[in-house]
Amino acid sequence: MSSKQSILQALKTVAVEPQAMPNIDVSPRLDDVIGQFETNLATVAGTLHRRAGLEGLQAKVDELIAQGLQVISTVDGIKGNRAVPDTAHELKDIDYAVIPGDLAVAENGAIWVNNQNLGHRVTPFICENLFLVVEADKVVANMHQAIKKIGLDAGEFGVFIAGPSKTADIEQALVVGAHGACSLNVYLV
Amino acid sequence: MSTSHTTASHAKKGEIFCQDESRVDWHSKALWALREKRDRAAGSLPEWEQLRQLGSELKLHTLTHLGQYLEEFEQNCQANGIQVHWAKDGVEHNQIVHKILAEKQVKKLVKSKSMLTEECHLNPYLESHGIEVIDTDLGERIIQLAKQPPSHIVVPAIHLKKEEVGDLFHDKLGTDAGASDPLYLTRAARAHLREQFLSADAAMTGVNMAIANKGAVVVCTNEGNADMGANLPKLQLHSMGIDKVVPDLDSAAVLLRTLARNATGQPVTTYSSFYRGPQADGEMHVIIVDNGRTKMLQDKILAEALKCIRCGGCLNTCPVYRRSGGYSYNYTIPGPIGIAVGSQHDATNSMPWACTLCGSCTHVCPTKVPLDKIIHHHRRLKAQAGQLPYGKSTYMPLVGNFMASETMLNCSMSVARTALRILPGALLKPFSGAWGKYRELPVAPNSSFEAWFNKNRGQ
Repeated sequence: MSSKQSILQALKTVAVEPQAMPNIDVSPRLDDVIGQFETNLATVAGTLHRRAGLEGLQAKVDELIAQGLQVISTVDGIKGNRAVPDTAHELKDIDYAVIPGDLAVAENGAIWVNNQNLGHRVTPFICENLFLVVEADKVVANMHQAIKKIGLDAGEFGVFIAGPSKTADIEQALVVGAHGACSLNVYLV
Repeated sequence: MSTSHTTASHAKKGEIFCQDESRVDWHSKALWALREKRDRAAGSLPEWEQLRQLGSELKLHTLTHLGQYLEEFEQNCQANGIQVHWAKDGVEHNQIVHKILAEKQVKKLVKSKSMLTEECHLNPYLESHGIEVIDTDLGERIIQLAKQPPSHIVVPAIHLKKEEVGDLFHDKLGTDAGASDPLYLTRAARAHLREQFLSADAAMTGVNMAIANKGAVVVCTNEGNADMGANLPKLQLHSMGIDKVVPDLDSAAVLLRTLARNATGQPVTTYSSFYRGPQADGEMHVIIVDNGRTKMLQDKILAEALKCIRCGGCLNTCPVYRRSGGYSYNYTIPGPIGIAVGSQHDATNSMPWACTLCGSCTHVCPTKVPLDKIIHHHRRLKAQAGQLPYGKSTYMPLVGNFMASETMLNCSMSVARTALRILPGALLKPFSGAWGKYRELPVAPNSSFEAWFNKNRGQ
């Protein structure tokens, strides 16, 4: 018998009575979702720019480029100074990546990013700093609502990103900037 | 097997940890701080108890339909271009992983945290076959460089002080001598591990949830190490226990809401990544492992331990874990959940007694694993198997007979009260055994509770 068959065979005699799947119906907190999002984004060490818009973001990007920094953008209307390279490894010197997020979650400050908008999947992780752009009417209350709206077609990759990468593995001291981006700025448009 | 898993009873190993009292206090406080953060995060959601109940029910539903969901998961993975492998135990798991890596001539594997691969002892196996394994979670990298196993399932280097990490990094990574600033050390590790990510031939991660109806795996990290690994080399592997599967995305959402809150008090981990297929021109493998889990499902009480989502909340709250350390347990996973899933592997048969049955673990568990009940059940199983430790099989029946006799109990309690009143403590203390080692003897009441009750409340 193959291991698969022997595992499935053993699972035919589970000692616990079959349990029904619960109905997942959790009331969302709907007051001021953008305010909630801003608070929770700050909790996870991200910064929200409510009113700067794409113009403000482009001005920021131009400023970074003028400083000689490497900026890649996959957001329509934002121009960086780097194109999507042939290989993921060539992204290793990217200082800033500007990426569109599909939706934002008020309860935890997370933003859903789908690989169709990334060039290479590693882009939001390998860049030193990350800008995410989210439409203001795409902020949902909680993860139950978010999970129903995310795009994750067959073969795809997607990720909820909540703040810059961080660790507290040395004596529980929080350090922002572990392996992924060292900072996260979110622009609502 | 690592050296810390040599066989000595939990009490013996705990005693070693307790030799440095100030360190024990420091360890206990660090973990309690996590518990306090968890309480604040849980308290901020009015629906917290509802989420715990949903988590418990959906996990139990999945566990009682596990064959069906695993097959559904496999079919959907295959439709997404993911290769699925089944391993009955750790040995077969390691062989499968090695075969995949060997076919691609992999020399360097970057790995993010996976308690399953610790359980299977994958690293030493691959290293013995000439494959370099780099643990990439900062805590894991620290203990890998120190050649130690994890002492906690979420914060694996919680037992080390920053000065010790500083010395280790000075020795292994060339950081400045005497430097112990966590920011400086973390940045040094970031630079060191970037080189590893960029030069790796393959990446491996654990799995937090496997979505049956999508054929996707969810991996949660704060550091981004799983995603830096899985998205650079063209070969990605994910190992999961059979208990990691959930029916759908809605189920995953419930668990994602409680996992990080219960672990560290964060509203969610920084990255919750959903892999529903390999990258372009890449290869993705999922290895589904049993390693004793189907056997646990044959026991009604032990089965519930498989609802666990490995948040570590029960370790942080456990008064025994906090004051005996992760290395005092004879299993890869320490603390209450370690006792629940590892007692059957403990040759000293002492793990089920590394517990006061206070129930705090059960109270904080995000999927309502009845940990104290399971630990108590392990004691029964050990007794039934004739494996009671510490001479319990000799003296416990005597204690049982003694306490069952009203006359004997009343007489001896009366003697004890008198003795406590008239005899000096130094004379009595030796009779209290280990209990009296760090405690003073109680002040004797004037009469028994029974006498007090009859006088004040009796008819």
